[in-house]
Amino acid sequence: MAMRQTPLTCSGHTRPVVDLAFSGITPYGYFLISACKDGKPMLRQGDTGDWIGTFLGHKGAVWGATLNKEATKAATAAADFTAKVWDAVTGDEVLTLAHKHIVKSVNFTQDSNCLLTGGNDKVLRIYDLGKPEAEPQEIAGHTSAIKKALWCNNDQQILSAADDKTIRLWDKNTKEVVKSLSFDASVSSMEYIPDGEVLVITYGRTIAFYKAHSLDLIKTVDAPASIHSASLHPDKDFFVAGGDDFKLYKYDYTTKEEMESYKGHFGPIHCVRFSPDGELYASGSEDGTLRLWQTAVGKTYGLWKCVLPEELSSENSEVLYCPPAEIKA
Amino acid sequence: MSSGMKTPVSVLRLPRGPEPNSRGFDPTSPRFIALCPTTLPSSSSSSGSADEEEQRLRAELRERFLRTLLLMTGKRVRFDMHEHVRVHARFGASDIDVLNLQVCDLETPLGVQREALLRSQDVIACSFEV
Repeated sequence: MAMRQTPLTCSGHTRPVVDLAFSGITPYGYFLISACKDGKPMLRQGDTGDWIGTFLGHKGAVWGATLNKEATKAATAAADFTAKVWDAVTGDEVLTLAHKHIVKSVNFTQDSNCLLTGGNDKVLRIYDLGKPEAEPQEIAGHTSAIKKALWCNNDQQILSAADDKTIRLWDKNTKEVVKSLSFDASVSSMEYIPDGEVLVITYGRTIAFYKAHSLDLIKTVDAPASIHSASLHPDKDFFVAGGDDFKLYKYDYTTKEEMESYKGHFGPIHCVRFSPDGELYASGSEDGTLRLWQTAVGKTYGLWKCVLPEELSSENSEVLYCPPAEIKA
Repeated sequence: MSSGMKTPVSVLRLPRGPEPNSRGFDPTSPRFIALCPTTLPSSSSSSGSADEEEQRLRAELRERFLRTLLLMTGKRVRFDMHEHVRVHARFGASDIDVLNLQVCDLETPLGVQREALLRSQDVIACSFEV
């Protein structure tokens, strides 16, 4: 019996959602952080979308947000010229890192000891979170605002994408460019998959996959509309992408065929990411919402329930408990 | 929305939204309690003895609950769950946060499931013969 996808809408933000990130899988499940132009990034339970807390402190739009693997720390990048580090359990602000311009991107190393930042001042910065008073290491080179900066290759290298239409791979120690890629259009998003060393890049209508070590091209796929973000499934069998036409597209990674497209958002999609277990993906939109989508539509997972036809007309009338009114999403 | 004869996937409820007057990060959540053990309620308040009494009662209820779980082990238990679901199974164990219940020989409309995990949040009540 074919089922129709029921996305779960997470409300709460009052302005566009511009970035989102999942944590790893922890003993308490996995978590999701969303960056919003309303300046109030939120933490949610990853598999249900339930709100856990809001990080209060930024005085401007938050452009980037990330969690460490264990979901014990969060970091945010904002238009108030600061990046902040937060305790993701208590919601308390732990550190404010002043910058000289809008900060766009933040990324923890695997051990959560270092934070990489990048933004409109075109400089990459590496902060040692054990010595927050110390000056960060700086890596200059980009000629325009940095959009995204990520640790890669066991935190020994850094990948950065900027409005100068380049993606550069840097050695963390020498601070030199190891390799760079040039494009005709500005890169809209970048995702790094450590397992398999794959880099997912979007620009124009294209979703491109590169080998992270060598920056060799693996393949490209063109979508029907301008794409702002894409994410590859952990098993590398599908990827999802979203952009200007408000739709979410699902593609077969091997055959590059479009499998499905989903409507639901009321504005362009700015970010999309698979959960660490691959069971769902989250999208953030100009419409101020986050939506959760099932990878296997119809499967019982999180708040989604597989209901067999027999269960819809229940014979268990002797059960005294009255369930809450069924909410049809 | 795209048309079609397909049935939409059912949802237990919608994701919970933010509380209007709180920034969240519930200090009573299992994760908070486990990862922030140094956060203890102040005992210097005027209602100190009332707090202590509540603490004692809570401890007693908790112990009773844990002993019930122990007693349930290996027994055939009836689980009353959401959506009018009632199943029987042999209870094995609960995980540390009582998020999941491990059971054997779970009797379902589809047949008997040799090994299964029940989500605690789906369970409304369990009953068994002592």
